[in-house]
Amino acid sequence: MPLLDIKNLTLEIDTALGWVKALDKINLSIDSKEVRALVGESGSGKSLIVKSIVGALPDRWRVTADRMNWKGRDLLSMSDTQRRNITRNEMSVVLQNPTTTLDPSATLGEQIGESIPDSMLDKGWFWQRRAQRHTIAMQQLHKVGIRNHELCLSSYPHQLPDDVCQKFAIAMALVSDPKLLIADNPTMGMETTTKIQVLRLLAKLNKTRGLSILFVSHDLLAISAMADTMTVLYCGQTVESGRMSQIKRRPLHPYTQALLDSAPSFRRDLPPKAALSCLEGTIPTLQHLPIGCRLGPRCPRAQKDCVKMPAVRRIHDHHYACHFPLHRDKP
Amino acid sequence: MLIYLGRRLNLLVITLLILCIASYILAFLVPGDPLINLSGNPSPSADQSAQLRLMYALDQGYVAGFWQYLKLTLAGNWGLSLTSQNPVFQDILQFLPASLELSFYAMLISLLVGLPLGIMAGLKHRKFADMGILSVSLMGFSVPVFWLALLLILIFALQWGMLPISGRLSLLYEVPHQSGFMLIDILLADISDKSAVLNDAIRHLVLPTLSLSIVTSALVIRLTRRSVINVMSSDYIKAAYAKGLSHAQVFWRHGMKNALLPIMPQLAMQFTVLLTNAMIIEVIFSWPGIGEWLIQAIYQRDFPAIRGGMLAVSSLVVIFTIAVDIIIRLIYPLSKRQFHAQV
Repeated sequence: MPLLDIKNLTLEIDTALGWVKALDKINLSIDSKEVRALVGESGSGKSLIVKSIVGALPDRWRVTADRMNWKGRDLLSMSDTQRRNITRNEMSVVLQNPTTTLDPSATLGEQIGESIPDSMLDKGWFWQRRAQRHTIAMQQLHKVGIRNHELCLSSYPHQLPDDVCQKFAIAMALVSDPKLLIADNPTMGMETTTKIQVLRLLAKLNKTRGLSILFVSHDLLAISAMADTMTVLYCGQTVESGRMSQIKRRPLHPYTQALLDSAPSFRRDLPPKAALSCLEGTIPTLQHLPIGCRLGPRCPRAQKDCVKMPAVRRIHDHHYACHFPLHRDKP
Repeated sequence: MLIYLGRRLNLLVITLLILCIASYILAFLVPGDPLINLSGNPSPSADQSAQLRLMYALDQGYVAGFWQYLKLTLAGNWGLSLTSQNPVFQDILQFLPASLELSFYAMLISLLVGLPLGIMAGLKHRKFADMGILSVSLMGFSVPVFWLALLLILIFALQWGMLPISGRLSLLYEVPHQSGFMLIDILLADISDKSAVLNDAIRHLVLPTLSLSIVTSALVIRLTRRSVINVMSSDYIKAAYAKGLSHAQVFWRHGMKNALLPIMPQLAMQFTVLLTNAMIIEVIFSWPGIGEWLIQAIYQRDFPAIRGGMLAVSSLVVIFTIAVDIIIRLIYPLSKRQFHAQV
């Protein structure tokens, strides 16, 4: 049974022009001990998926799903308290942009202390708990590579550099020893060395403790090394999902192909000043979404049929949503 | 912190100096002899006149004259009132506490009413409670203070006879002047029937305080509501929910502090608005405060008193504002990034 199973997740936003579907029938599932990459360009709704999983969306927005299960229990229909218990003990999230997601008026020590569940403290008197929390926080900071823990714990977010805040956010997510880590662009703004350190830590936790990771990023190079499976997102629609190796070897959706091609390549036989391959145009805004397959206007293989939403098709465990996938002959 | 403190004290001293300069210039701009305007002696004899000219250094140019004026002002010699011939500084010391007392209670009540209602409206954004509170506050906001005061007198004092119309204390009682704050004076005074006097003083306080605090409460509600809405829709509140904290935990640990601390300076600013409104209220309720005293002085063209009153009230506002600024700096970490004063 998958750990997290989402089927046809739709998120509607109330704009001046009426309700707009920011996420349209998203499918996503994460097995235990799996590292799944969620890839898409900026504005494709990656962060919205993350926020709707943990329920950090404004009340005015409508979230509907055929299925949104955590270990077989429906997240959408359960009470707030139950859902909070799950997000507190079993799921952790690193949201994008740590400078705005950390409380500006509390020290980092207070904030990480909140994330440590009481069950992790051994039975002691209440005045000993503070020291215990401090020790746990300290160890966790060392793990993500923050050496000067005293300074970090006693500082306010605005007093520290962004990459330290980012590492701190990862530490805060990992401190409650979760089953699933949802990391929204966790290596943003880091130097390459620290980035590798963090990725290595996540990979190690995945191997040793069986931590499942939903890794949201547009850094294909970083992802391809550690992810087992990948879901590609375009403009609020899932276009393709399947095993990482399979997708990389033979993408079926034109968008995935374009995404893989756009990653800078370091081949030896690359001619000098070769053009970087990319799709024409930009991702449409929420107010001007095309009907049917949203890639339509930019797609090199688009035809008349693409104004209808393609059904999800499947080859083994490789899912794609396209009328004219790459493995069929050129139409 | 020391740099910051230095900057604020610098600002304080310079602002007060400018106020002094303005009040000195005022003595020359208003009609009449500058000597009379400065000293408050309406018809000095030739002998006195020469003595006063020497005292104010009027013949040695404006700079020396101002220096002399500054020294006298700091020493508490603010001249005599033209009408009553009392020293202006003593008069101000006697009347200012009454105004301060009124404004202080009004501020307290507006905070007690405004903050909870504002927070409630902010948390129930776009719900019925929010709309209700907002429309009531809009009404309170738009009512002219003097009209509201008259209406309150008409209903509570004249029609129902529940509360006294004007004054600070019934004529039956006599409380010696000590601190100038009526309630404190009553508690300190050695008089019989203390509780009856206290009761009477409080009954006198109700209407002025109420008419003052309604406008300010409305302002406080609007400020708080806006701030709470902004904070509750911010990323760190969402992150706190994502951590799995309950509504109450999120609100008390992360929401409250971030919502209230940034608007503290604006809330404190309301005190100065309150002080100006209090002057109008004092006239209507014959409250023996600085406002009524100042307006009487204006009617009677008592220039030394006008000058002194203006200086006292404006210095009070400046000192209060800067004191609040420093206190906020001490308790709000995010403000530590700003070095320059903000208006």
